[in-house]
Amino acid sequence: MASITVPAGRTRGPAARRSRPPRGVRALTHAALLIGGLAWMYPFIWTLGSSFKDTDEFFNRGLNPMPERFLWSNYLEAWQQASFGRYFVNTLLITVGTTVGTLLITSMAGYVLGRTRFPGKKLCLVLISATLFLPHGYTIIPIFDLVDRIGLLNSLWSVILVQAAGGVVFGTFLFMGYFMSIDRELEDAARMDGASFHQTFWQIMLPLSGPMIATVGLFTAISAWNSFFIPLVFTLARPELRTLAVGMYSFIGENSTQWTLLCAGSVITLAPIIALFLLLQRFFVNGLAGAVKQ
Amino acid sequence: MAVSGTFADGVTAANPPAGGTPGGTPRRRRRGRWSAIWSARWSYLYVAPMMVLLVGFVIYPIGASLGYTFYQWNGIGDPTDFVGFANFAQVVNDSIFWGAVRHTFTYVAIVTPVQLVLALALALVLNNRRLRFATFYRTLFFLPVVTSAAVIGVVFQLMFSNFGQSVNDILTGFRITNENIDWLGDPNVAMGIIIVVGIWHTLGYNLVYFLAGLQTIPEELYEAARIDGAGRIAQFCYITVPMLRSVGVVIVLLALIGGFQVFDLVQVLTNGGPYFATEVVNTYIYHLAFGGFGASAVQPNVGLASAASFFYGLLLIGFSAVQVVVIRSLARRRAGQ
Repeated sequence: MASITVPAGRTRGPAARRSRPPRGVRALTHAALLIGGLAWMYPFIWTLGSSFKDTDEFFNRGLNPMPERFLWSNYLEAWQQASFGRYFVNTLLITVGTTVGTLLITSMAGYVLGRTRFPGKKLCLVLISATLFLPHGYTIIPIFDLVDRIGLLNSLWSVILVQAAGGVVFGTFLFMGYFMSIDRELEDAARMDGASFHQTFWQIMLPLSGPMIATVGLFTAISAWNSFFIPLVFTLARPELRTLAVGMYSFIGENSTQWTLLCAGSVITLAPIIALFLLLQRFFVNGLAGAVKQ
Repeated sequence: MAVSGTFADGVTAANPPAGGTPGGTPRRRRRGRWSAIWSARWSYLYVAPMMVLLVGFVIYPIGASLGYTFYQWNGIGDPTDFVGFANFAQVVNDSIFWGAVRHTFTYVAIVTPVQLVLALALALVLNNRRLRFATFYRTLFFLPVVTSAAVIGVVFQLMFSNFGQSVNDILTGFRITNENIDWLGDPNVAMGIIIVVGIWHTLGYNLVYFLAGLQTIPEELYEAARIDGAGRIAQFCYITVPMLRSVGVVIVLLALIGGFQVFDLVQVLTNGGPYFATEVVNTYIYHLAFGGFGASAVQPNVGLASAASFFYGLLLIGFSAVQVVVIRSLARRRAGQ
C-alpha cells in the first residue's frame, strides 16, 4: 500500500507495480496453473477411477473418471489371478537390493575419491567423467553375455547387479561432490583422537551425508522400481521373475481385453512410487537441481 | 591433452614397471610409490566395488559389443560364424534401420525444443517468490517423471482404446475430420502420440532444472535493471537468458541424451509398429537381438544387433562431440566480443 501512495517517480512506479501484481492477474495465474495441473494429472485420475469400474462401465463412462460404485474386486483379481502380487514382491526385492547395494558402493567410492589421495585416483576420475554422459543401453548384449557367464542369468540378482552397475557412476559423482564439501577439520580431529580409516568413514563421514544418502537412495529406488528394459531382457525366460512394469507389458500382450484389471495393475505399480516421492520429494528435487548446477 | 596426461600418469601409478632398475633414485622412488600404494590400501578397497562394476558393466561391454559385430550369431553358445564386416554392410543398407534413425531424430527434434520452451515458461511463472502454492504446482507437473514409462505406455494405450472412439465421434460431429482416426494404428498419428506422451512424461525434469538455474540468478540484478528502467522483456533477454546459459547447456545435453535413448514408451505403446512406422533405434536393436512380435527378426541375430547398436553408439558419440565443439566455439565467440 505504502509503495502505491508514495508519489511515483519515473523509476520507482513501475517497479512497485511489477512486484505486486493486481489481484485479477494473480487469480488468472492460479486458475491457469490449476487447470493445467489437473489436465496434467488427468491420466492418473482416470486410471485410478477406472480401476474401480466393471468392464461395461469402463466403456460406457469413457472420459469420465468417476466410477458408479467402487468395485474393489479388480484389485483382488489383479493381485491373485494376474500374478501382480508376485510381481510386486519381485519389484520390491529388486528395488531394495539395488538401492542398498548402490548406496554402499557409491558412498564408499565417493568418500575415497573425494577425501583421500592414492596413486591411480586420476585414472578413476577420468573413467568416471568419461562415462558419466555416455549413452548406455546399446551395450545390453555383452552385459547379457557377461551375466550368463558368471551364472546369474534368470535370477533376481542379475537384475539387481546390472541396475546397480548402471547407477554407480552418477551416485559416486554425487557423493564425491558432497564429501569434498565437508569441512576437513572434522576428519582431522577424528584422526587425532585415534579413529581408524574405517571408523572415520562409517561413524563420522557417512552419518554426516544423510541428505546425499536420501537423494541417491531415492533416485536409485525410483529408477529401479520403474525400470523396464533391464528386467524385460533378464526375465525373458522366467515369467515368474517379472517385475510390475514387465508384468503389465506382458499382460497387455496376452490378455488385452481385461481393461479394468490393467487399470488396477497400473495403480498398484504407480501408487507406491508416487507416495514415496511425495514423502521425500525435497531430496529428489534438490538432488536434480544440484546435479545440473555442478 | 590434459586427459591423456593424467591417463598415462594413472596407468604408471597402477602398474609400476616390473624388473629392477639400476640406480638409487628410481628405486627409491619406486619404493616410495609402493609404500604410497600400501598406505592407501583401504582407499583401494573402498573404491574397488565401484571400479569393478564400472569396468565390467560399462567399459568392457563397449569393447565386447565390437567383437560380436563380426559374427553371424543367434546368441546361443559361442559365436563361430565369422562374417567380417557383412553385418555393418547389412545395417547400412537396411532401410528399416535408417527409418528407425529418422524416427528417433524426429522424436528428439520435436520433443526437446517443445519441452524446453514449455518448461522454461512454466519455471518463469513458478519462480515468482510471491506466487503462493508454487511447490504444489511444481509437484503436479513433476509427478509424471517419477512414474514408469512402461506403465504410462499401458495407461495411454488403455485410454486410446477406450475413448478414441468417443473423440472420433466428436471430431466427425464437428466435421473436423471425415474419417475415423485409428489412433495407434495410423503411422503418422501413432508417432505424434508417442511424441506428445514423451513430452508429458519428462517435462518435469526440465522444469526442475530451469527452476534451479533461475534460483542462482541474484535478485539484485533484476532490481538494478528495474531501476535502470528495463522492462520485463528486456530483463528476460539481458539477465535471465545470459545467466541461464551454462545451466541451459547441461539441460539441453541431458534432454538430448534422454531423447536418443527412448525405448520403454515406444515398445509398450506401439512395439515399433504399425509397419515399423514408429520403430526407434533402441526398439530396432531389441527386436533384432531378442526377437519381437512379427518384427524384422524371425531368428535372433545378435551380430547384426551389435553392429546396429555399435554404429548408433558411434553416431551418438559423434553427435555429442560436434555439439560440444559447437557450444565451445559459441561460448568463445561470445567471450571474444
